[in-house]
Amino acid sequence: MRRNEMTGQERVRRMFARQDQDSLPRMESFWDDTIRNFQAAGHLEDPNVILGSDFQSLCWSETFPYPGQRVQIAEDEETVTVRDAWGQINRYWKARTGTPEHIRFPCMESSDWFDTIKPLMLSNPPSVSIDEASRAMAQGRRLGRWCHFTGLETFEITRHLMGDENAMIAMLEEPDYFRDVSATVTDLVLKDWDHLWEAGVEADGVWVYGDMAFRSGVICGPPLYREMVWPDHKRMADWAHERGLPFNFHTDGDVNAVVEDYIGAGFDCLQPLEAKAGMNVVNLLAEYGDRLAFFGNCDVMIYATRDRDAIEHEIKTKCEAGKKTKGYVYHSDHSIPPSVDWETFQFIVDCVDRYGNYD
Amino acid sequence: MTAFMAVMTGSLTWLGPLVPGSNLDIFSLFDLHQGGIRWQRHRRQIVDLQPLTQSIVGGKRKDAKEHTEQALAAGVGPEAILAALVAGMDEIGGRFQRNEAFVPEMLIAARAMKEAMSVLEPELLKAGIRPEFTAVIGTVQGDLHDIGKNLVAMMWKGANFNVVDLGTNVEAERFVAAAQEHQADLVGLSALLTTTMPNMKATIEALKAAGLPKTKIMVGGAPITQEFADEIGADGFAPDAAGAVQVARTLMAG
Repeated sequence: MRRNEMTGQERVRRMFARQDQDSLPRMESFWDDTIRNFQAAGHLEDPNVILGSDFQSLCWSETFPYPGQRVQIAEDEETVTVRDAWGQINRYWKARTGTPEHIRFPCMESSDWFDTIKPLMLSNPPSVSIDEASRAMAQGRRLGRWCHFTGLETFEITRHLMGDENAMIAMLEEPDYFRDVSATVTDLVLKDWDHLWEAGVEADGVWVYGDMAFRSGVICGPPLYREMVWPDHKRMADWAHERGLPFNFHTDGDVNAVVEDYIGAGFDCLQPLEAKAGMNVVNLLAEYGDRLAFFGNCDVMIYATRDRDAIEHEIKTKCEAGKKTKGYVYHSDHSIPPSVDWETFQFIVDCVDRYGNYD
Repeated sequence: MTAFMAVMTGSLTWLGPLVPGSNLDIFSLFDLHQGGIRWQRHRRQIVDLQPLTQSIVGGKRKDAKEHTEQALAAGVGPEAILAALVAGMDEIGGRFQRNEAFVPEMLIAARAMKEAMSVLEPELLKAGIRPEFTAVIGTVQGDLHDIGKNLVAMMWKGANFNVVDLGTNVEAERFVAAAQEHQADLVGLSALLTTTMPNMKATIEALKAAGLPKTKIMVGGAPITQEFADEIGADGFAPDAAGAVQVARTLMAG
């Protein structure tokens, strides 16, 4: 079968069902600087359209305590310090993308949560718009894409509210506090999805983001994860399954230690599988491919070299392993970095065409 | 039992096995006197520092502070107490590397260490004991990422390095100036982004050009590999915070 015999929606559905597809489903992510470089070189097209992405996000559920807030509180030549919708105070580059420096978080103590942030979040309206999701759905259907609700999961939201250090310490020392935050924010995300679903925005699936790991392993150990976070991950996956929707989970880092837990929570797919963190889709497909689909893992460090032989080998290896199980989606292992120029990106697309099709 | 134990004189410190569970006033010594042997019951308080070490391993900051205060009150030398604290950080670091402990456990251990050090540090200064090595650490220019860098700084402090944290987005010149000012034995460079990796190389070149013969340079961060570290002339690379302690110690020993 050649690509374009199926719509993206059909292709992705069949991927989740491990049924024959015309080609691997595909999608890509890019650093903002990469897009700017492409545009500066005169390529204004959406690179995901060039690639032929099969995915369409309908919403981004972010249950901020201070929706819409972005207050500048300091500035110097290169950076700007801002209090944002989470209530975080962060320092950002003016002219560059990258991870901000975190200065303060809204929940420094449990009393901040119980007295201020929790009541605020519970009193806020849904963070997603029916109109915007409906428009995105219409576009997605027109383009034949697999349309998904998107949002942050509890571990990520909790870290946004408490900061990494406070959140990690609370997991051990104030578990009731951590669990209250986790359960509450999960309720709010599910409420967002209910808001859209009940208005007739019927997605094809759910895609949730939350970074759970560093390059050398999971941030919190499997037992603590099971106790503190897993119950809410399961609730999210259950929400999707009750509506017949598959559940795709994004996490950076090395999560090899908790893949079985993810399967137990009901995750249907794992993305983006950071190669430099030791995630290897060839091994993962062999071990879990019958129970979990995989999405990504093409190494951006190789892409950054612009070495065409190495890039081709990387894409070929991952796509061919993926095709054997029918449960694989092409994507890089994170985001295309700015060191990848337009010509190299074109070559990547060519390789995905060459090795992603089921002949 | 391989407890760290110290006698209140501060001059006598066992680093090996002793009476399990003993901690007070019952340690008798043979004393050769006037040609005969007699038991002499020394009224010297024995302080078992193992609970202090374990309070660090378990991240019990209140206990760590209390045990430190008690050991000092009993006359244990600050150096012996410091050794017990560092042993605790070593233990948790080892568990981290064996995937038996994770970031939350490391964080509470580092916090317990900090709490104990708030009591111990003035005593160390009074005794003229200072950290043997000074490390300067920062995230290289162009990068505002600080989580990994902060963890390494905490672990180095826990290993009794004097740590000068320059923060994020640090220009090569600031690394050089700080290394010179503090006579750094070690400089740690962190980067999260592939786009800022070249700034590591530039910083290493600046440090080498500044002529700091005793200063070793370590690099780390999500995109960094041993190969890249070798390529840019770093003396050491560690994939995680606990590994950064071991590599730092190896470099200092060399």
